[in-house]
Order: sequence, then structure tokens, then C-alpha cells
Amino acid sequence: MTTFLDDKSRETIVSGLPEDHDMWTNKVRRKFYGKLPPEKLLPDRQPSYVSSWIYVFGVLTVSALVVVLLSGAILAFKGPSWWHESGEGHFVNSLHLWSVEFFFFFMVIHLWGKFFMASWRGKRAMTWVTGMLAFLASVGTAFTGYLSQLNFDSQWISTQAKDGLNAAGVGSFFNVLNFGQMLMWHIVLLPLVVGIIVGIHVVMVRLRGVVHPFPPKGAKTHPADDMPWTGKYRRYDILKEGTIAMAIVLILTILFSVVFSSPDEKSITLQSWAQNDPIDFVTTATSELAGTSVSAAYSYPYNYVPDAGQKLGPFSLPSIFGVTIPVNPAQDFVLKPLETVVYNPALTSALQSYNSASTAQQTSWLDNYTKALDKATASGGQVIVRNGTYGPVPEMMSSLLVMARSGGLDTSLLSGNGFYGTDYTKPLLFLADSGYMAGIAQAQHLTGSQWGMMNETGNYPGQAWLWLYTFFYQIKPMSTSGNADVLVWALMIGLSGIMVAVPFIPGLRAIPEKTKLYRFIWKDYYRDEESKKV
Amino acid sequence: MAIAALIPIFASLINLDHPGHYITVGVISISVANFVVVVLMVVVFLLAIFLRFPKSKEHQA
Repeated sequence: MTTFLDDKSRETIVSGLPEDHDMWTNKVRRKFYGKLPPEKLLPDRQPSYVSSWIYVFGVLTVSALVVVLLSGAILAFKGPSWWHESGEGHFVNSLHLWSVEFFFFFMVIHLWGKFFMASWRGKRAMTWVTGMLAFLASVGTAFTGYLSQLNFDSQWISTQAKDGLNAAGVGSFFNVLNFGQMLMWHIVLLPLVVGIIVGIHVVMVRLRGVVHPFPPKGAKTHPADDMPWTGKYRRYDILKEGTIAMAIVLILTILFSVVFSSPDEKSITLQSWAQNDPIDFVTTATSELAGTSVSAAYSYPYNYVPDAGQKLGPFSLPSIFGVTIPVNPAQDFVLKPLETVVYNPALTSALQSYNSASTAQQTSWLDNYTKALDKATASGGQVIVRNGTYGPVPEMMSSLLVMARSGGLDTSLLSGNGFYGTDYTKPLLFLADSGYMAGIAQAQHLTGSQWGMMNETGNYPGQAWLWLYTFFYQIKPMSTSGNADVLVWALMIGLSGIMVAVPFIPGLRAIPEKTKLYRFIWKDYYRDEESKKV
Repeated sequence: MAIAALIPIFASLINLDHPGHYITVGVISISVANFVVVVLMVVVFLLAIFLRFPKSKEHQA
């Protein structure tokens, strides 16, 4: 089948018929073609100075991203639990982990290279900005991936990360303890954001081309940064380079997955906690009932606690959104679950006695019981304390312990959200109040003072890219401040903004020219150009 | 099935699932694994800018 355009030139086809020039479609096509003709989108020539290994790290980063997306797609296809249950699933998880490690590895080197080339010169600032935004969005995506692992690492990271996010007010709508929400961010929203930003970044690179070298020594003429290159060119097969890069990344990822596998420290539950450390469980549950636990004193977004919560100067950022995830530890962790127990007359009587007692009486029982728990012993799945005036509290705690050891408490704390329980806010807050969880984290070197946010369990590399975030917690005033989380977040947001805005900041943008590291990157070009002048 | 049976064998070639090792200097504490990654990044970056790139045919635009 032939059309009236078949014998026309490409330019004529793009321009369309004269009477169509006012059409939106026609205008967009002409504009797009004018800016990005095929020879720019798929170039086969590059300026001759594009002759350094540093240039391959951009395409290596994109290749690693493709492997990340493919391995992630397989994991998504089989569901979030698959990789814990089968060798094949674990292997695909290893592919995902190592491709992410390679992605960041290549991206950071690419970023360093572009910084020392001052690659924002010549109207290329948006190329740098989109590159930095892609890096930041990737950090967020990787972070939600760590939260979605469904193992101990993800449990611990979520309980620690919530403080920073809550202090910054972000936790009011971005709940890291809600597995379902984090999984959706990780597999849908953030990959979409990263994909779009990377796409724009690549188009910007194609649109503006790679930045010119700084002028050689003694150069009388040199193309301006924002003008087309007028020097020599060399052959450049973009598809061949992309294919080779993809093969290298695939081989490396498979090799590392086969040799090193990936970590999977089993998650803990209220059941395993109650079974392994019943005294700690009862002590924590008593503190929830007494209102003395960390969760009970936690302000926004879980509760309104006067004068609690972190502030940035005079501002309380979480108070802007208020209580968006209501949690009442005494009711939610202890009393409501106990009320679901049936055919237990002793417990029913104990609950009636506790609920009808005055607040002063309840406090007295709980204080006495808390002190007695210091010398408690565990035997036969029960916690035994010396005789004292504890009212109905021992009966209530004994029943809660039985419920937890059977797994019923895990179910109870999740069932409040309906049949499909994917929000782990309550069980994780309860676990986070325990010494049991902190003890495991300490042994795995995951706590804040151990720079835990960037560590992985075992000897695996973790989120090394969070080094600065973790570092700020170790130094004053953050290490001793009650507002540490919000201070660190403010610092990180400020520094991230500076990194994005480097092309516009005098002094900072001059560093590459002053350090002259670019002379190594473009050494062949400078040698050729400067030897001509001798 | 045969592949599935081989995966745990391959996976245990170098088992990193042991208690981690850490380097601590003052307030700085970094796992050996993270340290290796950072050092490798710096080394690869330096190699990338110092090593010669294969020369290809050039021509004037």
C-alpha cells in the first residue's frame, strides 16, 4: 500500500502539508524533529575528545538499571514472599541486590566524572540537575526496597527510619512501618519516577551533547561551551556500546549472585519474642499499659503528647499534619487484644477489675509489678514474680503472654486493618519498644551508634551511599540533641539541594577548573592540541 | 530442579552470611564490606581517568 508521502523526503514528511501547519500534532512533530533528529538520538559520531574510560560509566549505569528493573519485575511477578521460600527466588533476589549495588557503584563514578568535567557548562545545567535528581530518587527507591524485604533488616530499618521521617513531618503520609505502602512505593511509584527522570536525563544528554573540554593551554580559538563542536570526530556505535555494557553488567551480576548470594536474616514476630524472651515481653507490655514506653510517649503522627516531638528551631513540622496514624499503645497492644480472648473467666474478671479501678490504683499496681519484673524468672512459658500487690495485672500479662506465644497477638494487631493485613505499624512499634529487638540489632551491628543505617546483616555491603546521613548522627550537636532526627534531615535536604544546584553556585562550580583533574580525562585531546603549538 | 539443587552449592562458595567485620576509628565505624566497596569505587574512578582509552580513527567534521 502506498501513500502520497512515499516519494517525499524525510524533511517534507516531518513538515507535513502546508495546510496542516497549524495542527498541534504537526507542530509537536516539527519541534521534536528539529531538536532531536534521529542522528542525535542514535548518534554514530562523537567529538574526538570523548575518549576516556570515564565515559562508559553512564551507559553502565543505565545497563545496571535495566537489570535492576528486570530482576525486580520477576520478584514482583512472583510476589513478596517468594524469595524467602525457594532457591530460585533467593537467586533472583541476589540478582536484584547485586544489580542495585552495581547501579550505585557505576552511578557514583559517573557522577564524580561529570563533576570533574564541570559537565553543566554550555547550557547543560539541566543535564546535571536531572542526573542528581535521578541519584536522589534512586536512593529513595533503594531505601523502600530495603524496607520491603520482609526480613529482620527491613524490620529494624523501618523502626529506626520512622523517627527521622516523623521528625521531618514526612512520616505523617509516608509510613515506613506500613509494608503494603512501602512495597507499592518501591515497585510502582518510585521506579516510575526514576525511569522518567533517567529518560529525561538521557534525552538531555542527546539534546545538548557531551560537554567540551576546557580550552587547551595557549589556545587562541576554542569552540564556546554552548556551540557545536568544530574539531575532530570519531566513530561511535551507541547500540554496540550499550550491548557490551549490558553484557558486562549481566555477567558481573550473575557472577556475584552465584558466588555471594544475598542475606536474609529471618524476621522476628511477637510470637518469637514472647517465646524467646518472655520476661522482656511482659516488661515491655507492662510499660505499654503504664504509658511509660517509647511508643506511649511518642507524639505525632501517632499521638498528641504535649511538648513532645522534635522541633527545628521553633517549628514542629509533624504538628502541621497532626495525628494521622493513631496508635494508643495501652489499648492497641494490650487491652483490645485481651478483650478478644473468650472462654477465660479469670481474664474476663481481671479486665473488669482493671477497667473499673481508678487511675491511681492502676498506676500503683503497674508500678509495683514493673519493679517486681526486675527480679522475675521465666519457667514453663510463664513469668514469675515475687508476691506483691499487683491487682489483676499478673493475670492480664500472663494471658497476653500466652496469646503472644501462640501467635494470636500477631494476628490480633494486624487484623484491625481488615483481612489483608499489610500494615505492620502496631506490631513493629510494639517490637521497637523491646530490648529483644534492640539486642538482635546490636549483635548485627545495626544500631544508630554502630552506623547501622548503612550496614547490611552479615558481611554483605549495605547502603554505603547513606554514609553522610549516618555520619551526622555521630557528631555534636546531633549526637546529644533531642532534635537529632530533624536536624540531620534538615542538613541532608540542604546538602542535597546544594548538590542539585552545583551549576548555579559560584565557588562550588569552579572546583573542577581549579583541581584540573579534567586534564587526565581529556589527556589525549590536550596532548594532541598542545603538541601542535610547540 | 537440577539448577535449583545447585544454587545453594554455588551460593555457599563464599559465604558472607557470617557475623560482620567492622573497622572503627574514633566516631567512624564502617563494615569491611562497605569499606571494600568505597575503596573499589575510588580505585575504579582513578583507573577510569588515568588509563588510556583505545584510540579510534578520527576525522574532521
